[in-house]
Amino acid sequence: MVNRKLIKDLLDESACSHNKEKKSGCDKPKPGATNGGCAFEGSQISLFPYADAVHLVHAPATCQGASWETRATPTSYKGENNTPLGYCTDVTTNDVIFGGNKKLEESIEYIVAHKNPKAIFVYETCVTAMIGDDMDNICKRMQKKHNLPIVVVHAPGFVGSKNLGSRLGGEAVLEQLIGTREPESIHPYGINLIGEYNVTGDMWQYTPILEKIGIKVVSTLAGDGRIEDIQTAHRAKLNVIVCAKSLITLCRKMEEKYNIPHVSVSFYGKRDTTNAIMSIVNAFGDTALTKRAKKIIAEEEAKLDKALGPYRKFFDHKKAILNTGGNKSWSIASALQDIGIEVVATSIRKATLEDIEIAKEYVPILMKVPANEQAKLIDEHNVDILLAGGRSLYTAIKKKVAFVDVNQEKKVSYGAYGGLVNLAKDVANAVHNPVFKIVGTQAPWEDEGKEKINIINTNNSKYTLWYNDAYF
Amino acid sequence: MAKPLQINPLKLSQPMGALLAFLGIKNCMPLMHGAQGCASFSKVFFTRHFNDPISVQTTAVNDITAVVDGGDYSIGEAIKNITAKVTPDLVGLFTTGLTETKGDDIKGASLLLKEKQRIVYVHTPDFEGGLESGWQKSTTNIIDQLIVPQKEINSKKLLLLPNVNLTPIEVEKIKETIALFGLEVFALPDLSESLDGHLGEKQGALSSGGIEVSTIEALGDCGAVFTIGRSMESCGLKFLEKQPKAQHFHFDGISGLIDSDSFYGTLLKYTEMKTPPPSIVRWRKRLQDALLDTHFLIGSSTIIIADEGDKTYSITRAINEAGANVKYAILPTRNELGEKIGSEHTLIGDFEDVETHLEECEILISNFHGERIAHKHHKGIMLRGFPNFEAVGNTMKNDVLYEGSCYLLFELANLIRESREVH
Repeated sequence: MVNRKLIKDLLDESACSHNKEKKSGCDKPKPGATNGGCAFEGSQISLFPYADAVHLVHAPATCQGASWETRATPTSYKGENNTPLGYCTDVTTNDVIFGGNKKLEESIEYIVAHKNPKAIFVYETCVTAMIGDDMDNICKRMQKKHNLPIVVVHAPGFVGSKNLGSRLGGEAVLEQLIGTREPESIHPYGINLIGEYNVTGDMWQYTPILEKIGIKVVSTLAGDGRIEDIQTAHRAKLNVIVCAKSLITLCRKMEEKYNIPHVSVSFYGKRDTTNAIMSIVNAFGDTALTKRAKKIIAEEEAKLDKALGPYRKFFDHKKAILNTGGNKSWSIASALQDIGIEVVATSIRKATLEDIEIAKEYVPILMKVPANEQAKLIDEHNVDILLAGGRSLYTAIKKKVAFVDVNQEKKVSYGAYGGLVNLAKDVANAVHNPVFKIVGTQAPWEDEGKEKINIINTNNSKYTLWYNDAYF
Repeated sequence: MAKPLQINPLKLSQPMGALLAFLGIKNCMPLMHGAQGCASFSKVFFTRHFNDPISVQTTAVNDITAVVDGGDYSIGEAIKNITAKVTPDLVGLFTTGLTETKGDDIKGASLLLKEKQRIVYVHTPDFEGGLESGWQKSTTNIIDQLIVPQKEINSKKLLLLPNVNLTPIEVEKIKETIALFGLEVFALPDLSESLDGHLGEKQGALSSGGIEVSTIEALGDCGAVFTIGRSMESCGLKFLEKQPKAQHFHFDGISGLIDSDSFYGTLLKYTEMKTPPPSIVRWRKRLQDALLDTHFLIGSSTIIIADEGDKTYSITRAINEAGANVKYAILPTRNELGEKIGSEHTLIGDFEDVETHLEECEILISNFHGERIAHKHHKGIMLRGFPNFEAVGNTMKNDVLYEGSCYLLFELANLIRESREVH
């Protein structure tokens, strides 16, 4: 059953800065003026990266039919990778009338008989919450019968936003998995990575560095995660929240219950990656570990500087405007500065109070209504690159500047030191590409009076070095 | 025991079909009556498929309004908030599993808002039907609620009712070819002018093109109605209720030589012309040649196809003319055409079933989800249907009539050849 008290507590999270003022970030969605995803999607984002578990969605066609195999969260799990698979009870009229309990039970039996998961997550959705299926009872019974963790996730879409759903997913893991198994040994520098989903392999950019320093990743929620590991998360020494603020409640509760402190970090950009590693290391207060970390960071930074060298020259004097949301408003700005681009302005629309505070430190101009401001700023500051969502493409074409769609599903990782080289490569390719000027040319039958655009620099001597993967 | 669940579903939902239908009307705001996720998932799905922005709003039903509201509150609020920012010519209001479970009265809610906003409402729970029926139900309701009955008919005016699987370029090609016969043709819905992948002036909040509401209202004098795809036949009958004097011509498919012949034969008969325009004659000859050029490869191949019913029927008809051996046709939902599809086995299933039967076949014809499976089993994949998340240019894939059939046959034959060399 949906737990209203839990939802209220999650929305009133004391660790969220905005709750000191207002609860805007967690307000109920407004009919006719809402774009974000629902709570179910949030739980899907936070838990689907567990590739060794089957994720069974108890719902009619839309919830899973439209959303399976859409997220690039790779895994190193050697068994069947369940993340890109879609398991759905496909609730039909009959189930709505007579209840979906039987179907759910049979589906679990089918999965146990035909697959070999390490656990099954069962997701409640709007329709199955409305018809009142007794999911807790069925799953408890099935868990006992098959001696397999079966975790019910009560995050039907209508309880709220994606952010709330991620929290509810975290709660389900905390209540039903964490602490249910003891590890063979306890590592002195063991950490949990919380809110890192390994999108495009982001996590793999920095975990080898952490390991080299001597830090062990005990478990993750949930990038490249394993059920067996998250069950032992209570024996880690530190929780590391990566970018996402949504799982702060989970970390606070683990601190209260298991006495595990937490740090909040970002692995975007050179400075932030270095800061992230140092705040993890500092949390342990071990001089030998700190010394080792500093040495390894210096090596990695030198390697990165060498790889970025050719780009730096090219990006010198290049100016950009960034129009994106949330923590990207500063994390990508920081990354761009690290590859040598001057960031003139960034958008703070839809950013949290914390994000705005941090953004202030990185970027001189904060745009409140970027749609109105960015075109003017491009002219005033002679900007070369616009990094924004698809909507702003029209501005880029009109202003004849290079465009990078930062909201599009990215295919390669921009995370940590290694990801910066990918970012540099993508931005350089955009700057070189004549396409934004060409598509903006006038058709022969359009106004003669308007200025014709001269296509300069479409030669093919395009620096081959951009494709040089030497860094890896 | 029948499989109790879907593993890697092929099925897409009714509200998604409805959303797409309303995007074929100009200046329309599709409004999904459900929790915010229903609209958000569908929006992301079609944005990635079409590589273009998708307009849709949600009534954002929450756990409180789900219990205490009969629909009129959240729908009223949604209309208020939408019209505060934009002025749609039409709001396409359609339901989801959530709001059908609670049994909202969307007709009543629409009537209450009549003065404020033009609305077409349609019931599309996602625990029934699928993509095709969602599109069909919306088209039926658009005909029913918008078209003004007229006494007389204009025999030169033709209404085209395409099924959901026809790509924007296919709809455009069908319209163009009909126009060559001296007819004025209107497609309902018309994706050829909204989701055809064109660079507009700016990105608006409403659908970027399609048939205009005023044009729909004035469709009552159409002398003929063409329905393409079995899912759309009933929409033609709905139009006849509005205009009993009109003639209804139905085509289960218009790919391949035989079905294209039947389409053009009908047009000739209706317009009382003896021969079609020369370009059509030429394309028929090219298709004859294409059939011969590709028959060796296609005739030696084994195919499995997993797609919506009307799409599966139409492709199978076309490739069977070149001797394809379609071993399995897997459909997401029941379709009256099931028996008529020219495959050895036809079943309702999911991608787990596709994977089970793939081993016996050489080529998989299916959507994006089929790609990973085909690669895993070293089979060739021809991408058709929803979704197509990665490959670009799908809105310009043309498989219909003489011309499109040529492209279809060549693409398949080349794929078979390449696949044999690689695998």
